[in-house]
Amino acid sequence: MGSINSKSVYCVGKKEFLDNIRNKWVIVLTTILFLLVILFSYLAGAHGRLGNTQSTVIGLIGISSILIPLIAIILGFSTISGEAESGSFSVVLSYPVTRLEVLLGKFLGLGSVIIVSILIGFGIGGIIITALAGGGSWLGYLIFIVLTILLGLIYLSLSICISAFFKRRITSIGGGLIMFFWGMIMSSVFAGILIGTGHSIKDLATGNIPSWYWLENFLSPTDLNQLAVMRGFGISNIRMGEISVTLPDFLNTGVVLLVHLVWLIIPLFLAYYFFKKRDI
Amino acid sequence: MTSKTVMCPKCKHQITIEGNPGEKVILTCPNCNLKGVFTFPGEKPTGSFSIQVNGLTKIFKDTKAVNNISFNVKSGEIFGFLGPNGAGKTTTLKAMLGLIHMDSGNIKINGFDITKNSKEVKCGIGYLPEKIAFYDNLTPVQTLNFFCELKGVDKSVVKPLLKEVGLEDAINKKVGNFSKGMLQLLGIAQTMIGNPSVYILDEPTSGLDARWVKIVRDKIKKLNGQGATIMFSSHILSEVQSLCDRVAIIDKGKIVAEDTVPNLNKSLKIKPRLEIYTSNLNGKIPDVISKMGGIDAVDVKENILYVTCDYSVRVKVISALEQAGFQIKDIKTVDPSLEEAFMKLLFKEGA
Repeated sequence: MGSINSKSVYCVGKKEFLDNIRNKWVIVLTTILFLLVILFSYLAGAHGRLGNTQSTVIGLIGISSILIPLIAIILGFSTISGEAESGSFSVVLSYPVTRLEVLLGKFLGLGSVIIVSILIGFGIGGIIITALAGGGSWLGYLIFIVLTILLGLIYLSLSICISAFFKRRITSIGGGLIMFFWGMIMSSVFAGILIGTGHSIKDLATGNIPSWYWLENFLSPTDLNQLAVMRGFGISNIRMGEISVTLPDFLNTGVVLLVHLVWLIIPLFLAYYFFKKRDI
Repeated sequence: MTSKTVMCPKCKHQITIEGNPGEKVILTCPNCNLKGVFTFPGEKPTGSFSIQVNGLTKIFKDTKAVNNISFNVKSGEIFGFLGPNGAGKTTTLKAMLGLIHMDSGNIKINGFDITKNSKEVKCGIGYLPEKIAFYDNLTPVQTLNFFCELKGVDKSVVKPLLKEVGLEDAINKKVGNFSKGMLQLLGIAQTMIGNPSVYILDEPTSGLDARWVKIVRDKIKKLNGQGATIMFSSHILSEVQSLCDRVAIIDKGKIVAEDTVPNLNKSLKIKPRLEIYTSNLNGKIPDVISKMGGIDAVDVKENILYVTCDYSVRVKVISALEQAGFQIKDIKTVDPSLEEAFMKLLFKEGA
């Protein structure tokens, strides 16, 4: 890969941050994140009072696993294919900067936009509900924010990889959409396989499921992330009415975080491979 | 080629290297891995090349976009790169910057190989692509600041550069709101960051109005006057003819000619054109001229007769016209243009 000039990486990252922090979609989605925190806290509370952080997170976890990948895909899907198509890469890469430095700079710059967006949206909301409602686990909420950032970075890494793979911006959009729905539909796909192999829906609700079913969490970054958040709050058993599912021991915090890192790093390596091979 | 023993400034290890006067050599100390550049003492020999392209081939799928081309550009020269659309001009220029991967060949700029020492090559280049684009949400100052940082150049040059290309009134505007001409001017400004010794310009006057075309041409001349080597592609043949010391014409991925414009015309046997202004032609070619030998082409437009012939035939043409009773008011000799060489070459090649 050759040596990396950290100044070049910083320079590209700073430019990406400045160019994207004012992206209207990022501003809109950040505002939505903040409003959702307040809304779910209100819904989780009683008698018009805000609920605590833990009950808020249980509500937020599903919606954030849709919105955060969306922000990341919006930021990353055209970062390479779009610039190659528009012509700006022809200028940038005529400067003394390597493709690896550009790629890392882009990841760090766009990653910073995601981090700022989550910190503003969930962070400020979290401070308000902690101050007004009290109780709950502020550490758990902090872990939730960190894991949400990690989810955002995973989807950013995936969308940059897709952007490096596809030649044109329009096909990158298609790739981004497939990636987005991949995470959403994986649990349904596995449920289908489960039923197809002789199990019933009731088995899902009672936790009478084979251990391979849990591998679904490794294939869907969003499901994996939800699992990590539960572990973060120390939850190992999900109970909803008659439904009671205990998380298997092999899906412990260490394994879950390791798989997060695999989802983060492998697409970045692939993105570099595709980008390096590409003619600009 | 001379040998030189240099001492590593860090570990004092002695390294022996070979090179030519003025040549830059990148070396790594085998003892402590410190990297450095050593320039051999003495000046580069006169007529040394800033750009050396040797056996460049680029294949896109099954098409050879550039087919084993070689050319050199002398230091301090303005070199025009001409060819019809799809001939391989942009592919060649992009390969010179490492933007596209070549299938074979090697390219050296300022003595550095683009594949082995791309950073060193790019430090000494200013490049203007044919299709220019920047970042919509940034201002021109932020844009040039970014490029200054990439090149390690002090940002104090940004405002003078913007003034130099006439964008001083647009410094607070977002680049996304720029017209095509303004983008081109910003592109030209970014090429000048760090005073590179080699400029590679792909259609530099494209999209500019007449006023800015002149400014850009003057700028190219000025940069060249300051010692810069300039290679540019253009479809405006008169522009190339007025600016370039030498030209190369590329067609279907192959260089079909490379020389000065007068030498090209000479080698292609393109003759000067005589423009004869008379009072009574009335749009007809006189019989004395149409039947005369030694004339390559003849045309008439109202009372102007255009005759393409050797210098030796000119006197014969004028005498014949006078004897036939035509009153000659004025005579002009137009030297062959690059366009004629270009057309003749491409026609010869079957384009």
